[in-house]
Amino acid sequence: MGRKLPEIFIVAKRKIATFLEYVGGVILLFVQTLKWTFTPPFKRRPLIEQMEKTGVNSFSIVFLTAFFTGIVLAFQTAYTMKKMSAEIWIASLVGLSMTRELGPVLTALVVAARVGAAIAAEVGTMKVTEQIDALETLATNPVKYLIVPRFLALAIMLPILTVYADFVGMFGGFIVGVSKLQIPPHLYIKKSFDALVYKDIFAGLLKSLIFAFIISIIACYEGMRTKGGAEGVGKSTTMSVVNSCILIIAFDCFFTALFYFLW
Amino acid sequence: MIKINDLHKNFDSQAVLNGLNLEIKKGETIVIIGRSGCGKSVLLKHMIGILEPDSGEVIVDGQRVADLKGKDLVQLRMKFGMLFQGAALFDSLDVYENVGFALIEHTKLPEAEIRKRVRRALESVDLVDIEHKKPAELSGGMKKRVGLARAICNTPQIVLYDEPTTGLDPIMADMINDLIIRLQSQLKITSIVVTHDMTSAYKVGTRIAMLYDGKIITQGSPNEIRNTQDPVVRQFINGAAKGPITDKRNNDFHF
Repeated sequence: MGRKLPEIFIVAKRKIATFLEYVGGVILLFVQTLKWTFTPPFKRRPLIEQMEKTGVNSFSIVFLTAFFTGIVLAFQTAYTMKKMSAEIWIASLVGLSMTRELGPVLTALVVAARVGAAIAAEVGTMKVTEQIDALETLATNPVKYLIVPRFLALAIMLPILTVYADFVGMFGGFIVGVSKLQIPPHLYIKKSFDALVYKDIFAGLLKSLIFAFIISIIACYEGMRTKGGAEGVGKSTTMSVVNSCILIIAFDCFFTALFYFLW
Repeated sequence: MIKINDLHKNFDSQAVLNGLNLEIKKGETIVIIGRSGCGKSVLLKHMIGILEPDSGEVIVDGQRVADLKGKDLVQLRMKFGMLFQGAALFDSLDVYENVGFALIEHTKLPEAEIRKRVRRALESVDLVDIEHKKPAELSGGMKKRVGLARAICNTPQIVLYDEPTTGLDPIMADMINDLIIRLQSQLKITSIVVTHDMTSAYKVGTRIAMLYDGKIITQGSPNEIRNTQDPVVRQFINGAAKGPITDKRNNDFHF
């Protein structure tokens, strides 16, 4: 036992060092990205291209996810509410759950899987085929040229997708409420919006902005540190999705608690 | 023009460059030979400032590369053109955007002028009317030539060639060699060629230097290298499986 202990410490030390190196690398990249975001020249074309790739093309998948979630949420709530004859509160519950929690989180998870993976794979392939080195030899900063447009595009599009998911989810609940539970449509809509206050929507949007930072920076960081060939790209892509998803849930937990106590 | 003093670089505690010294004069074509993975590409990347040395320095036109930042670094890099081993063309851009990349990004030249320069750069590598094609539509040899056109489009003073003939058929490889010689005589640029292809080295080089164990162990004219008695260099240029290079490696594996 006495001999084994140092071995454990060595392994633990190595693991902690790797973890800290990762965290440090991500923070450093985030700071560099912020710096280059506000450094001219500002080019519109790459930003618009990325907004289309990351945002516009995600509308259909976000629609499906939010719509079905809204339906499921309404049914599951109805199951309990029926016992208390309080079905009318389904509207408020679906509205609040979607805007405060499910809208931002589900949208971020879907975008992390769809867009984060694509960014990590694209940047990773550029890294292993020396395209990133080529950018530098052509006197172009890879952070400015590659990361800033993706970072900004997600920071703009994820909150928009989140608001869209909120409404689509509420629409899913509306269909269940009106068609299955016979709640009058105008009453359902009134109950949905009566329950919502400005801070609910704002809290959801603030979360989605943080999630956008997480997805873009983790994906780009994983891409930029890719080593080896196709295997390395596959590993980076997987790690990008896994780490983004864990961080999204962890930060969601943190912000939910923060808003609960402070606001 | 380029002076490298006592350059050291380690990757994962393995020394790749180990006190390398080299001087490169203006207008010459120096070929750096050495085995795969011996640090030739790493040396090129130090010259253009992509990698920072652990110790030692690279001086280009009197400036220490590692000290340069911002606009100074951009200016230094604009002096260079680099042809990568796999061409490293940007997949998402077409040939015009690839070749004219530095001009589009860093100058305010009108598009017509950039198009003219791109056409001229492509013509100098014997390619015409392919501006609209994507890299995926090109053959290996064409990619290399487009990569070369990109390297010379902003009329650099120094061109770095990383394994310019690797992966090409012998005829295409010789065409690339001719191109290097032609560009050298037409544009009066300094060329630094990294290769393990001895046919290419003898043909294009005005001077050949061998990188071994992280150092330049010998340098001289192609004739001097061809007639050298150094056993390490002889094993490499003759392509022998047995000799001091492989013996040392085998010993390293055993102990």
